[in-house]
Amino acid sequence: MKLSTQFLLAFSVVLVLSVIDTTSNYLLSLKVEKNVEFLNKSQEIMRNSVKLHKTIIEMQSSFRGYLLTQDTNLLNVYNIGLKSLPILYTEEEILIKENREQSSLLDSIIFIHQQWTNYAKEHIKLQGIIRKPLNTNDLLVGGDFNKITDEKLNDSIRQKFLAFDKLEYKTRSLHKDNLISSIKRTHIFSLTFFGLTIIFGIASTIYIVRLISKRIKTMTQLAENISKGNFTTITDINNDEMTSLSTSLNIMSDKLSKNIKELEKQNGELDKFSYVVSHDLKAPLRGIHNVIKWIEEDLGNELSPQLKKYLDIIPERTKRMEDLINGLLAFARTREKTIPEKTAVAELLREIVKIIVPRNFKVEIKEMPIIITERLKLEQVFTNLISNAVKYAKVDNGEIILKCTQTDNSYEFSVKDNGIGIEEEYHTKIFEMFQTLREKDEKESTGIGLAIIKKILDDLHCTIWINSTLGNGTEFIFTWPLK
Amino acid sequence: MKKIILLVEDDELDIISVQRTLKKLDTEYTLYTAYNGKEALTMLNDLKNPIVPAVILLDLNTPKMNGIEFLKIIRVDDRFKDVKVFVITTSSETNDRSITEQLGISGYIIKPLGYSDNTKRVDSMDAFVQFHLRKILGES
Repeated sequence: MKLSTQFLLAFSVVLVLSVIDTTSNYLLSLKVEKNVEFLNKSQEIMRNSVKLHKTIIEMQSSFRGYLLTQDTNLLNVYNIGLKSLPILYTEEEILIKENREQSSLLDSIIFIHQQWTNYAKEHIKLQGIIRKPLNTNDLLVGGDFNKITDEKLNDSIRQKFLAFDKLEYKTRSLHKDNLISSIKRTHIFSLTFFGLTIIFGIASTIYIVRLISKRIKTMTQLAENISKGNFTTITDINNDEMTSLSTSLNIMSDKLSKNIKELEKQNGELDKFSYVVSHDLKAPLRGIHNVIKWIEEDLGNELSPQLKKYLDIIPERTKRMEDLINGLLAFARTREKTIPEKTAVAELLREIVKIIVPRNFKVEIKEMPIIITERLKLEQVFTNLISNAVKYAKVDNGEIILKCTQTDNSYEFSVKDNGIGIEEEYHTKIFEMFQTLREKDEKESTGIGLAIIKKILDDLHCTIWINSTLGNGTEFIFTWPLK
Repeated sequence: MKKIILLVEDDELDIISVQRTLKKLDTEYTLYTAYNGKEALTMLNDLKNPIVPAVILLDLNTPKMNGIEFLKIIRVDDRFKDVKVFVITTSSETNDRSITEQLGISGYIIKPLGYSDNTKRVDSMDAFVQFHLRKILGES
């Protein structure tokens, strides 16, 4: 599966889980809201029922007061009740229209009350005509609606109101129970999904991070290997974007390996070639040299001085040719590995100085390390540099200072002379093959020495640089591996 | 009878060089020169005038039949079991040297023949003449 698909999938699952979670919570909030609405309505129903009951009772007592006192003022409350009762009734009717039981209770209450109102109206009419106070006995005797019936009526109304309220409370508790269980359900549901979201989120993150980091690690390892010259490859059984990256890396490693091998092979061939050429070039020279020698041996006395002078030029020139070839040979051989050995550099330098530095030179060897290294190569580098210092000295007062400093990852050797110096424009050129800054015959110089040094140091991944100006001596500084 | 030296060498200059060095000897000898191994074999097996040299100076790099092939053939021939063979070699031919060592040789002479080299077990032409040839030719 592609990495992007995996990312997308993990993200989508987390998203879906949280959407489900949020939806369940939202639904719960809707339920709560609905319940609040119901509660408000229920409170209004109760308020209205209390008002209705109160108004009915107040009307009755107002009516009774009037009967006893004949004071029409006392009928005020009764009259207000007559007007307000239908409104309250209609309001309650609308509020409870869904509950049939409550509706019928309310209807029967209103019916009973209506009967009472009819009776009351009748009485008030009569009283209006008679215009005398009525005593209680009249009330008891005169009407078909006596005190007992009045109380009975009241009881019945109270009972019905109680039943009405009870019904309302019952509905309310039913709603409450529903809501609580719904909240409980939602809690469990929501917690479960929240847990799932977190678990899946963490798990998929860990999976993806591990998947990527592990493979990035292998690739980094590969790059490190390549930088060290080990052209390994990596196996990647997955099939995604990173696989193509590792495939490219493998191809790169493979190509580099092939190129380097090819380069090494060609270098080897070149070294072999120059070695063979140098060797074969020497044979005819030796022949020429021999023939001249033989002529001189055989005809020594018969040769004219002029001819002898000419013949003397030949060995001089063949000697120079041989030097050049020897230089080439040495250059070709620098790639050959020599055996590392324990080398006291100071001692090595003293030996070199003894052989190639004339007595009239002042040589100062500063503190030198003892290292395990390819002694022959170090010797070659120093020999070439010191012999340069000798060759390019100002007349007579030659001075050579040899010193060494140690840095974190290499030694820095310095060979400093007070010779004729080198102009800055030649500072790079002198390291090329056959570059000598002097006339050919002035000094025996082939221009290979510094090229050999450069090659040795290049092979060891070391560097050489030069501090010099014309007329002020020369300092060559080169690095050398610690181990 | 004068002792015989057989030189197997294709380089004219080297032949002259050997001749000139040998001339310095006070002992008498006869020098035969063959340009390659094949020619040398013909000389050794010549029906009319077969030669049995005391010393063979053998260049390994000769055309037609090289020194090693030649050496292999004469080493199984009883007639030549006492012949002392000196191989003329360049300092670089170390590989050939180890092969010839197994074929029983008496020494090496380093090429080019005007040279003197101080490496072990290898003589210059002059040293060879001074130390080996004089001794061999002096033996009766």
